[in-house]
Amino acid sequence: MNTRNPFIAMLFRDLRIAFRQRAEIMLPVIFFVVVVSLFPLAISPDPTVLKSIGPGVIWIAALLSILLSLQSLFRSDFSDGSMEQILLSPFPGSLLMLARIVAQWCVTGLPLIIISPLLGLLLHLDAHVIWVLFISLLLGVPYLNMVGAIGVALTIGLRQAGALLSLLVLPLYVPVLIFGSNAVISASNDLPYNGQLLWLAALLVIATTLSPFVISFALRVSCSYR
Amino acid sequence: MSPKQKQRLILVSLLVVGLGVGIGLVLMALNENINLFFTPSQVVAGEVPPEQRFRIGGMVTMGSVEKLDGELTVLFKLNDSVKEVQLKYAGILPDLFREGQGIVAEGKLNEEGVFVADQVLAKHDENYMPPEVEHALKTSGGDYYDNEAIE
Amino acid sequence: MSVKDKVWLWFHRMASPAYFYKLAGQLLPWCIVATIILMLVGLVGGLVFAPADYQQGDGFRIIYVHVPAAWMSMFVYMVMAVNSAIFLIWHIKLSDIVARSSAIIGASFTFLALVTGSIWGKPMWGTWWVWDARLTSELLLLFLYLGYIGLRSAIDDRRVAGKAGSILALVGAINIPIIHYSVVWWNTLHQAPSVSKFDNPSIEINMLVPLLCMAIAFKLFYLCILLINSRSELLEQEKRSNWVKELVTSS
Repeated sequence: MNTRNPFIAMLFRDLRIAFRQRAEIMLPVIFFVVVVSLFPLAISPDPTVLKSIGPGVIWIAALLSILLSLQSLFRSDFSDGSMEQILLSPFPGSLLMLARIVAQWCVTGLPLIIISPLLGLLLHLDAHVIWVLFISLLLGVPYLNMVGAIGVALTIGLRQAGALLSLLVLPLYVPVLIFGSNAVISASNDLPYNGQLLWLAALLVIATTLSPFVISFALRVSCSYR
Repeated sequence: MSPKQKQRLILVSLLVVGLGVGIGLVLMALNENINLFFTPSQVVAGEVPPEQRFRIGGMVTMGSVEKLDGELTVLFKLNDSVKEVQLKYAGILPDLFREGQGIVAEGKLNEEGVFVADQVLAKHDENYMPPEVEHALKTSGGDYYDNEAIE
Repeated sequence: MSVKDKVWLWFHRMASPAYFYKLAGQLLPWCIVATIILMLVGLVGGLVFAPADYQQGDGFRIIYVHVPAAWMSMFVYMVMAVNSAIFLIWHIKLSDIVARSSAIIGASFTFLALVTGSIWGKPMWGTWWVWDARLTSELLLLFLYLGYIGLRSAIDDRRVAGKAGSILALVGAINIPIIHYSVVWWNTLHQAPSVSKFDNPSIEINMLVPLLCMAIAFKLFYLCILLINSRSELLEQEKRSNWVKELVTSS
């Protein structure tokens, strides 16, 4: 492990901390599975119905479970004061925050993406549709982490942070939700879906480029409050 | 170059590369056709995959609307001034539905090539004009529902 | 003095609370009068003199409220984002006040556009709500406004609230085109913009004039509210400064 590079050091530190609290890692995935399995109970176990609602259901469940996991993103750093130290370090704060988000994605987003084909099977999606679902989540979920982190950085330390966070972040999730679920729906209708996946990729690249700067700036503002 | 400057240079170049790739992807995405929307010409040309739900948009052909007695089912034709497609719809039509009016319908084709709509939406006309003007336009022969072009 | 210097001088003067307070006080009565006159002209012209639409009859007259409100909803967000950027870069308090009071006005206009759009939809489409591109992006815009208002009111410190809100407004401004594109992509139901081309408008001239009157009246109304809000806000923020004390003792 190259600890001389602060980016790598931060990444491994966060991953190590996360794996010591395994229960916390599992929670978003379990939430994801439970939410998806509620839909057949609420709507209908009919395979044709499940096929048509499946893509949307899985996407919304993924979105909510990421939203749920976001709240712990900067919490411990913020409460024990290490956030100020990170932001004061000579290494660019934006890159350190990017490392933090990548770590967060590894422990919350990635498991959810890996388990999504299984949920696709539960909702009777066809094999090639599940493949598109997998790709769309792979491109879309990191965007959810990235943009969500902006919301977290703005609301950290506030009293009703949870509800406020969802109000700030959900409208910004709309394009990814539309393109992501629509790619899957198009695939299940045998229509081309490259356009939607390209949009997801474009949004991901742009968000990865810009949001670390916004996040570190927002964290500076939030830290100045105390 | 001091380490600080070097760092800044790397950050800026990362930013530029990221935005460049992002914009490139957006341009590629804009080139793809991601609509489920077809015109009557495309439908007649067989561009729609079979068994596929899609949207069709066009003008209701003059004189093509017939209501089946005792039912809500309506038959009408939709054209884009080149080709036309037979539509069938069972339900209440929107207020703005009339012959010559632009509409959008959602549904799929059956085996006989008839589009069975499960939803019909009237599309507003882009032209707002008083009734007299419209009347004048029509009597002067400037009928803009150009039906002659249909084979 | 070069033009650039003049512009900067004007900028600094505007940024000075005392000067702005005086100027706003002089401007306000004119604004109110102009708003009332234009709104009366627009309403009478639109509701009485404009001919009925050839298809939609008298129902179309709701555009005299709906369309200006929808225009305002986007315009106000733009003003908010620009002022947020100015506040973040130059730390001009006035910009923050403008952004803050814009949010509430913008949210109200967005809500008005949604409600009138829904009322208009009932006779025209046969339903109160259609998940149509414009109504949906208007709804999402309302959520963005509400998020901004919520964030600002959750932070007690005024300066931090201003900065955090500004960041959010700018992030929202970057996202609005993407959200709009993705939503528009869904469908085609609402009419295309009628007044995009001024040389050859597809809308009858005696329908258009009241519409433009209403649009300007709405903008002036916004300006009035901004002036009133920023005046009172300035007084509160500067209550310990000399010019406010002089103002109070002289009156």
